[in-house]
Amino acid sequence: MIEVKGLAHSFRVGKKGKETEVPVLKGLTLQAADGEIVSIVGRSGSGKSTLLHILAGFLQPDSGRVLVDGTDLTAMNEAQRAAYRLDHFGFVFQNFQLMPGLTAFENVELPLTLKGVPAAERRRKVEELLESTGLSDIRSHYPNELSGGQQQRVGIARALITEPPIIFADEPTGSLDSETEQDILLLIQSLNRTYGITFVIITHDDEVAAIADRTYRMHDGELAEGGLRHVI
Amino acid sequence: MSFKDQIAFVRQHIRRNRLRVFMTVLAATMGTAFLIVLASVGFGLHKTIKDEVLSNQMVTQVEVYSEELTDAKTDAMKKMDHVKAVVHRKQLAPTAFAELDGYTAGLNAYFTDFGEEATSGFKLAEGRFPEKPGEVVVGSGFAEQLIDEKATVKEGEELPTYKEALLGKTVTFKFEPLKEGAVSEEWPLKIVGIKEAPGKDWAFDGYLYMDDRLMPEMEKGLAAVSPEPEEGVEPDGFTYPQVNVYVDKLENVKSVTGALKDDGYSVYSVSEEIEQLDVFFLALKAGLVFVGTIAILIASIGIFNTMTMAVTERTREIGVMKALGAGPKLIQRLFIMESAWIGIVGTVIAVLISYGVSMVANAVLPVIVTAALGEDGADLGVTFSVIPWQLVLIASAISLGVAMISGWRPARKATKTDVIGALRHEL
Repeated sequence: MIEVKGLAHSFRVGKKGKETEVPVLKGLTLQAADGEIVSIVGRSGSGKSTLLHILAGFLQPDSGRVLVDGTDLTAMNEAQRAAYRLDHFGFVFQNFQLMPGLTAFENVELPLTLKGVPAAERRRKVEELLESTGLSDIRSHYPNELSGGQQQRVGIARALITEPPIIFADEPTGSLDSETEQDILLLIQSLNRTYGITFVIITHDDEVAAIADRTYRMHDGELAEGGLRHVI
Repeated sequence: MSFKDQIAFVRQHIRRNRLRVFMTVLAATMGTAFLIVLASVGFGLHKTIKDEVLSNQMVTQVEVYSEELTDAKTDAMKKMDHVKAVVHRKQLAPTAFAELDGYTAGLNAYFTDFGEEATSGFKLAEGRFPEKPGEVVVGSGFAEQLIDEKATVKEGEELPTYKEALLGKTVTFKFEPLKEGAVSEEWPLKIVGIKEAPGKDWAFDGYLYMDDRLMPEMEKGLAAVSPEPEEGVEPDGFTYPQVNVYVDKLENVKSVTGALKDDGYSVYSVSEEIEQLDVFFLALKAGLVFVGTIAILIASIGIFNTMTMAVTERTREIGVMKALGAGPKLIQRLFIMESAWIGIVGTVIAVLISYGVSMVANAVLPVIVTAALGEDGADLGVTFSVIPWQLVLIASAISLGVAMISGWRPARKATKTDVIGALRHEL
């Protein structure tokens, strides 16, 4: 379970010495239960990406707490947060963020390599996952040899390989055509139902938000009035 | 991430930037090779001069000087730790002659104990050591001193010298009478051994080496042909003492030299000269290594640039790795390993090239120098370049250290990469 309590964050902008503070998050409180798909919807500049970065531990908030199954992420240092991410989180990015020098197989294998999993076990796990996600045929392809949809499937496989309980998805269909978008959304729903993985999806697209069990609508760093919508 | 995977990761990145990494390795190689070759000249000169000193004298020989060197004192020296032999040679002081088949020579002669000489390393070119007092060994140049004074030669020509083999021949030894009308006793001495020629071409050994048991008899023989000494006047000595102590091992020469000094003797050993040489050349070599290090520092600018470029180019990849869960230490280690790889490959190639350059220098430079001096084919006896393992070790440590320090700052920069900014970074 993810619990966010009174989260606030500001960015400092302007020349050094003449900086001004721009508040991005203004005391957010929200939560995501285990096995839910939670979407955070908002227009550009609403603060949804900053919220995701804090939830994922990329950024330390000015105040407030982020608790994941009771563990306070905001109390950890950078190295501790990195280690926590490796064990508990998966990531799906809008621009796929695959390593250009690695094949599809090696990209999926990367989190296991970082975890120090032995090579033979890594190979077995990646083979199984590529098989189950229908990516076996493109295993030796480099990212620039893949379509957007294929790249995002590889990205999702990479997020899944460590079997994390939570996957953060930042505009996962933002770079895809509508047909491929549907494929990816179906894949997310299927993974959520099959494995009970919690998905936190950042999107500006209501169609994407429609698959969520819980949706938070953000405006100007705050939850919009009546922003919480339970689909179920 | 396992160490093996880290190595594979670094290798993969190096393969992707082959040309740039190759140029950086080349710079590191040139810098390190310059350091090694430059310092090798210092090592070469040191070796040449040390060899020169050592070839003139036995390394384990300690020369002892004192106003009174008696047999009792030399016997005490023999009992000292690490002393292998003590050779107490007594050089004949009065004028004496040797005669062989009508050829005569003014004599330079020693009385000595051949048992001790054999232990000390006295080497014979031919024959054997004397077993009886009437047997002698002669120096390799002894025959050249025997001249036929009765021969008639043209003006400007030299008198003929003895050309026959000396071994087994008997020379007649006699003193020059100092008393009018006296006739010196004669001693027939059989040549049973010929001493090995000295190492240097210019060195000459025309000595006659006699058994010291002959000394009392000869001293009496000299007295018989000398006038009575005046009262109150100290008579001239029959011999001049010369004592050489031979130590078992080179490393013990210093302690034996010290012990002899403590006993009040004036001593000289080649180790003292070498010690001074070593100090001088240590300073010279340190200076050369310092100059060579500047070349490596210049090469390090290339490593710094390459690594900074690598970090900038890979900002997005670093961001992805950090987002997935790579810690700052791992990111830093990967980049330091990459710069260390450049240093290692550069150093290995540099060492190989340096040995090649050193061999070529030692083969070609003497030919050029002798040709320039107009002495074609002459042996200069100079080693221009020597690369001992210590130099390889020092150069490798400097090169690797500098490479890693150069890579450290870019690696730190990589660890500070902002994940959010990096993920937005366009390739």
